[in-house]
Amino acid sequence: MDQGLNRRSFLKLGAAGSALLATGSTLTLLTGCSSNDGPAAGYRHFRQQDVDLLTPLVGAVLGKALTDVGASAEDGMKAYDDLLDGAMPGTRATLFQILDLMQLGAARWFITGTWASFAEQSEDELQQTLAHWSSSDRGLSQMAFKGLTQPMFMAWYVKPEAARSTGYPGPPQVIITPEAGIPAADTAPTATS
Amino acid sequence: MQDLSSLPIKGINDPWKTGIKNGWDVIDGRTVSADRTLEADVVIIGTGAGGGVSAEILTQRGLKVILIEAGKLMSSDDFTLNEGQAYRDLYQEGAMRATKDAGITILQGRTVGGTTVVNWTSSFRTPSETLQYWQDTFGVENLLRQDLDPWFQKMEERLKISQWIMPPNANNDVLKKGCEALGWEWAVIPRNVEGCWNIGYCGMGCPTNAKQSMLVTTLPMAMNNGATLIHSAQAHRLLIDGDTVTGVEVRPLNNDKVPTGATVTVKAKTVIASGGGIQTPALLMRSEAPDPQSRVGKRTFLHPTTFTFGIYDKEVAPYYGAPQSLYSDEFVFKHGVDGPAGYKLEMMPMHPGLTGALMGGYGGDARNEIERLPNLASSIALLRDGFHADNPGGSVELRDNGEPVIDYPVDDYLLEGAKRTHLTMAEMHFAAGAKEIRPSHSHAGYYKSWKAAKDAINNFAYDPVITGLGSAHVMGGCAMGQDESQCVVNSDGSYKYLNGLYIIDGSVFPTSLGVNPQLTIYGMSARNATALADKLKA
Repeated sequence: MDQGLNRRSFLKLGAAGSALLATGSTLTLLTGCSSNDGPAAGYRHFRQQDVDLLTPLVGAVLGKALTDVGASAEDGMKAYDDLLDGAMPGTRATLFQILDLMQLGAARWFITGTWASFAEQSEDELQQTLAHWSSSDRGLSQMAFKGLTQPMFMAWYVKPEAARSTGYPGPPQVIITPEAGIPAADTAPTATS
Repeated sequence: MQDLSSLPIKGINDPWKTGIKNGWDVIDGRTVSADRTLEADVVIIGTGAGGGVSAEILTQRGLKVILIEAGKLMSSDDFTLNEGQAYRDLYQEGAMRATKDAGITILQGRTVGGTTVVNWTSSFRTPSETLQYWQDTFGVENLLRQDLDPWFQKMEERLKISQWIMPPNANNDVLKKGCEALGWEWAVIPRNVEGCWNIGYCGMGCPTNAKQSMLVTTLPMAMNNGATLIHSAQAHRLLIDGDTVTGVEVRPLNNDKVPTGATVTVKAKTVIASGGGIQTPALLMRSEAPDPQSRVGKRTFLHPTTFTFGIYDKEVAPYYGAPQSLYSDEFVFKHGVDGPAGYKLEMMPMHPGLTGALMGGYGGDARNEIERLPNLASSIALLRDGFHADNPGGSVELRDNGEPVIDYPVDDYLLEGAKRTHLTMAEMHFAAGAKEIRPSHSHAGYYKSWKAAKDAINNFAYDPVITGLGSAHVMGGCAMGQDESQCVVNSDGSYKYLNGLYIIDGSVFPTSLGVNPQLTIYGMSARNATALADKLKA
C-alpha cells in the first residue's frame, strides 16, 4: 500500500477519524487493506496480518507472564484467539477494523507514538512504546490501549496453567457421574443445514 | 495456604439431564435446520430473572408457554469451574461486552437462566427511596415498598433467600473491619442459596446447584408444567399486525452464535419480552415497534462500578468462599436520593482472568502485580446512576447486523462520584489493615499510606476510559411510568404502543436501583406476571 497517501488520508481525518474508529465504522475502507481472507493457519479468528501485527505486542505486554511458564508470544496470541470464540460476530468485526487501521504506520504513530511496526521494534523499544502509549492523554490512544491489551491478560490468565502461576491453586474437581443413556446437555451436534 | 483444588464435587444430580430424560420439551436451536412453526398461549423471550419467574407463574395457571433463549443450555454437569469456558459459554459477548467507547466493561449472562446463573447471589429488596423517586419522577403507579413487600417475601421464600450465616471470607472481612474501624454501617448480605458449599464459583455456574438461580427453580417447574424451551435461538423480530403483536420470528444459532439459516415462527397472542437491559430494547428496535417519542433503548443504566485493590500481609484468597457476603450502605443515600452520586460498597471475587484484565498494565510490573493475588482484597463501589438530570444514562444502538451496542457517556456526574468512591475505599482498606492500595485508575500505582493514596487520588485526572469502571447490572432501556415523554411501559408491564406485548425484566427500571437488581426483578416480575395470568384466565 502507499503509506504516504494513507498517512495523508489519516491525518486529514483528525478528530473525525477518532470518532469513526470509536464507532467501529469502516474507516478501513480508506486504507484499502481491509481483508476478508479468513483466519490464519492454526487460528479460528485472527487473520494472518493480525497475527503478524499483534504477536510481538502480545509478547511485550504479557512478558514474564508467558516466559515464567515456558510459553511463547505465539501461545499468548493463540489464547487471545480462543477468547474471541465467545465474542459476537459484530464484536470481532469491530476489533478487526481497529487492527486494519493499526497496519498503517501513520495510525500506529497517532495511537502509540511510534511509527515502526511492533515486529520492527526491539524489546527495549517495545517497552518504551508501551510506556508512552499507556500514559497518553489522548482519548483514542487510551481506548486502543485498553481495548487491545485488556483482553490479552484475560485470555492468558484464564488458561489453567497461567492461572496457577499467580498463586491461585485452581478450582475444585468437578466429577460427573455418568448415567447410562443420558447425553450431557451440551453435546448436541451443530445444525446440518 | 487455602487450596480447594483437590476438593471433589461429586454426586450432584443435574436436574436438566433428569428432566429431559423424563420428557421435558427442549429444542436445541443448533440442531434446527428446517423452518417450523409453533404456537402457544404465551411466548417468553429470555429465561433470566424476569422470564423464569413469569414462566413458572403462567404455567402454574395452565397456560401453554414457549420460552426462547439465545444462549445455550448449560447445567451443573457442564459447570467445570474453568474461568475461560465460563466466560465463553455463559456471558454476553464472551465477557467482552463493553460500552461503545470502551469506558465500561459489562458482565451480563447469556445462557438458559440468564444472569441468575452467573451472579454472585446478593439479594436485596429495592430501597424505598428509589421506588418513591420512580413514582414522583416518572409516574410509576402502585409500586412503592408497601406494594412490593409481599412479592419480595414470596420470592424470598421461593428462592431460599436469607442472610448468609457462615463467617465471611477474608475478602469480605476487609469490609467489616474497615467499616467498624471507621464507624460506618455494614450488614450481612441475603443470598439465594440452599446448602451452599462456600467455594466461591457463583460467577462460573454453581456446580452444586446450591444457588437458587432460575436454572434450578422456576424453569424446571415451568418445564414440569409443560413449557417448551428453545435454546440457542435468537428472537430476531416481533411479529406485528397493525397495533397488535402476534408472535416472534426466531433464528436458531449454531455454536458460533451465527444463524443456522432456519426460521422458527412462534405464534402467540401474548408476548413477554424478558431479555433484560440491552437485549429487550434491541429486540423492539429490530422489530421497528411503534415508539412515538423515540424512547426505546434510552435511559439504560449500569451501576457504574469502581474498584480498589488492597494488599494484605495475611492471605486473602479472594477466589475462594462466598463471593459477596457483607455490604455497606453508609454512602448510598448520604446526599439524598437525587444529589451527588451515592454508592453501595461490596467486595468482588477475584479469579486470575478477571484479575489480569482489571489490573491491566504491561510487562514486568503487571506480572509482579498479579503474583500478589493470594494477598489481594478487592472492594467495589456501585454508583447509583439515573437520579440526576446530568446523568441520563446510555442508549442502545444496533449494528448493521442487528446486534446491540450500548453508548454510555461517562459524564462528569459519574466521574465526580468515582473519585469519592476511590477515597472511601482507600480509607476503608487502610482501616482494615491493608499494606498498600491501588484504586481503579490507569494512572494509579500502589500507595502505602492513606495520606499518600488521598494525595494521589486528589491529583488524578478523572476522565473516561482511564477511570476504571465496570458493570454487572444492566437496567433500563424500556422505562416504566405514566410520563410518556420518557416511558414506554405501563406499571403493569404492558407496552404502551402494542396490544399483547408485555415487558417483564430489568429493562423497565426508569433509573438504576442502588442495590444488586435480582430481587427487584423477581418481585416486580412475580407481581406483573400474576396480574397477567389473572387477565388471561379471566
